[in-house]
Amino acid sequence: MILCGGKFAFRTIQLLAYEKFLYAIGIGKGNDIIVDALEKETEENKMPFKSFPNKKSMSEMKDWIFSIQPDYVFSISFPFLIPEDILAYGNHKFINFHPAPLPQYRGVMPIFEVLKNQESQTAICAHFMNAEFDEGDIIFNDPINIEEGDTYGKLTVKLSHRLSNVVLNVANMIQFGSKIPSIPQDEEKAYFYEKPQYSDTYIKWKRMSANEINALVNACNPWNIGADTTLMGEQLKIIKSNVLPMSHDNSVPGKILKINEESIIVACADNQQLEIEIICSDEGILKIKDWKTKEKLIGIIFN
Amino acid sequence: MNTIGILLPRSTFYTSIGFDLFDGLKYGLLELEREDIKITTENIGFGADKQQCYRAAEKLLLEENADLVIAYISHRTAELLKPLFLAANKMLLVLDSGASLPTEWPSCPNIFYLSLHNALGAWIASKKATTDGFLNGGMVSGYYDGGYLHTYSLSENFVNSGGTIKFNHVTGYKEDDFTISPLKNYLDKYPKSALLSLFSGDFVQWYFKGIQEEFHNENLPIYLSPFGLEETMLENAVYPSNSVKGVASWSKKIDNIRNKAFVTKLESLGKKPNLFSLLGWESAQLAVQIISLSKKHSNKISDIAKEFQSLKFETPRGKIHFDVKTNTSISTLYNVSVIEKNGMCELKLDSSIENSKEEFEEMCNLPLENSTSAWFNSYTCI
Repeated sequence: MILCGGKFAFRTIQLLAYEKFLYAIGIGKGNDIIVDALEKETEENKMPFKSFPNKKSMSEMKDWIFSIQPDYVFSISFPFLIPEDILAYGNHKFINFHPAPLPQYRGVMPIFEVLKNQESQTAICAHFMNAEFDEGDIIFNDPINIEEGDTYGKLTVKLSHRLSNVVLNVANMIQFGSKIPSIPQDEEKAYFYEKPQYSDTYIKWKRMSANEINALVNACNPWNIGADTTLMGEQLKIIKSNVLPMSHDNSVPGKILKINEESIIVACADNQQLEIEIICSDEGILKIKDWKTKEKLIGIIFN
Repeated sequence: MNTIGILLPRSTFYTSIGFDLFDGLKYGLLELEREDIKITTENIGFGADKQQCYRAAEKLLLEENADLVIAYISHRTAELLKPLFLAANKMLLVLDSGASLPTEWPSCPNIFYLSLHNALGAWIASKKATTDGFLNGGMVSGYYDGGYLHTYSLSENFVNSGGTIKFNHVTGYKEDDFTISPLKNYLDKYPKSALLSLFSGDFVQWYFKGIQEEFHNENLPIYLSPFGLEETMLENAVYPSNSVKGVASWSKKIDNIRNKAFVTKLESLGKKPNLFSLLGWESAQLAVQIISLSKKHSNKISDIAKEFQSLKFETPRGKIHFDVKTNTSISTLYNVSVIEKNGMCELKLDSSIENSKEEFEEMCNLPLENSTSAWFNSYTCI
């Protein structure tokens, strides 16, 4: 059985169904289009399906799982904590696939945190589930390189593709292995990241380096549209940027140094420059070349 | 005491494959004066039974507590075993025929591939055909060999180099079904075509016999990859024509002290050195290094992998190092010709190919476009 949170799991669902490992699907909090699509597919394939739209509906999960009697329950971005009375269905019967290395990146949006922290590698972690989020014994972390320029969206798609292989590998492991090795998480290395707030996506020009801002821009694209900032009292989001490894003679961080045809150049706190190519303003998503009022901005400061 | 586990396959073509791999490892360790390292083996049949492969690897890791496992398996099977090695925090050294493309499956720090580079050899050989002036070609393969992605590297690089694949011929699976007669029609229609050929094991002998019988004295230009030029098979293959060449990954004729030591040792034991004993022999050197690095880095796989990627190894086929993107070994390859010896075949080394690294990287940039191999078994293990 797969418990999922949406389309991140779709490729995995297709592969597990093709390999005849899949018996039932549950979805938590999914939007109507996705829930309807899954329901239709499962109906056509005569597969048990259940939607858990909110925490309250989780009270129905125990009876559902106990009646279906799956060999294992795989969780992929399922949004709700599975309570202990449901986990009691079987010791080591629930396996979660977390889209970041554990124990370092616990939490609901680790892809954002991994990118924001400028990691060169992330992982999909397969771990047994316990009654706490992301804290069960680790089976393995399957590493994945982060390429330069990877955004939240690009990395999510890459992880979704890799996830299908990782989940199939675990299904094979269960099928063929006599036992699944696992180790407890090292609590000294553990960190739980809360869901990002506005303060996490907001650019702190006075103290962030060009690389940190660029990483934040990538980490916010597209789920938050871009990284948040303010210019002359107007809220903006920066969607695409690049680091220019050039000094700016210690201008004020956030100051617009130069206006090019297709970009604007901004001073950063580490004396490096940030080239901004795409923004989102009240006018909508704009390439800098289409931003008509940009010529007046030279010397203005982002804050 | 350190323990190396090795998964040994069997093959009806290479009946001694398991012994060759084992002997290579055993005498390679002796050559390094590492008699203290224990070798423990598990049989994986043809390497096609997923459960057998998984259970054998699991036994070596969890029951025999092997420090690392060496296995002659396909990339697909390595992918199957990956979570086990990740979970056990141990290294898997794949003895790789190179019949698949190294980019078909994602790389992983726990898995390194010591490759014989059949796909890369095919890639270079097909390019060589174009530089020899053959811009028309036909891909000739068997039902079995045709199922691996070396077909893709061969045909893509022939086309990239200006050639055109005019025909494909895939022969039957058994000797009775093996025929190259359809080549007559193709060659009538497209004369002066190069035969870009992918065969291994007994298929090589059947192919050469067919060429000799049906195209006697026509000196058809035939290009082969490393497994088509495996010397122990060639010595039992009838000499087909005067224009058979290709790319080899190793020959007993390679003139260096390490190859001499390897060949001399095997022959002193009454054994014929071949590609499989070579892999076993080389793997001893790599395994000793992995054991040493595991101790140095307290079994932290990412650190072991990083340092291992930076090392160079002197082996019977020359220097070997590892490509950091794919964890696949890169070594010197050899332009070779097939010459006659008492009516049978022998290899002649023409030149070494010094830019195999660049060719390898170019091949790895080949977009796969959903091309994939469905064979699970270890190459030549049928």
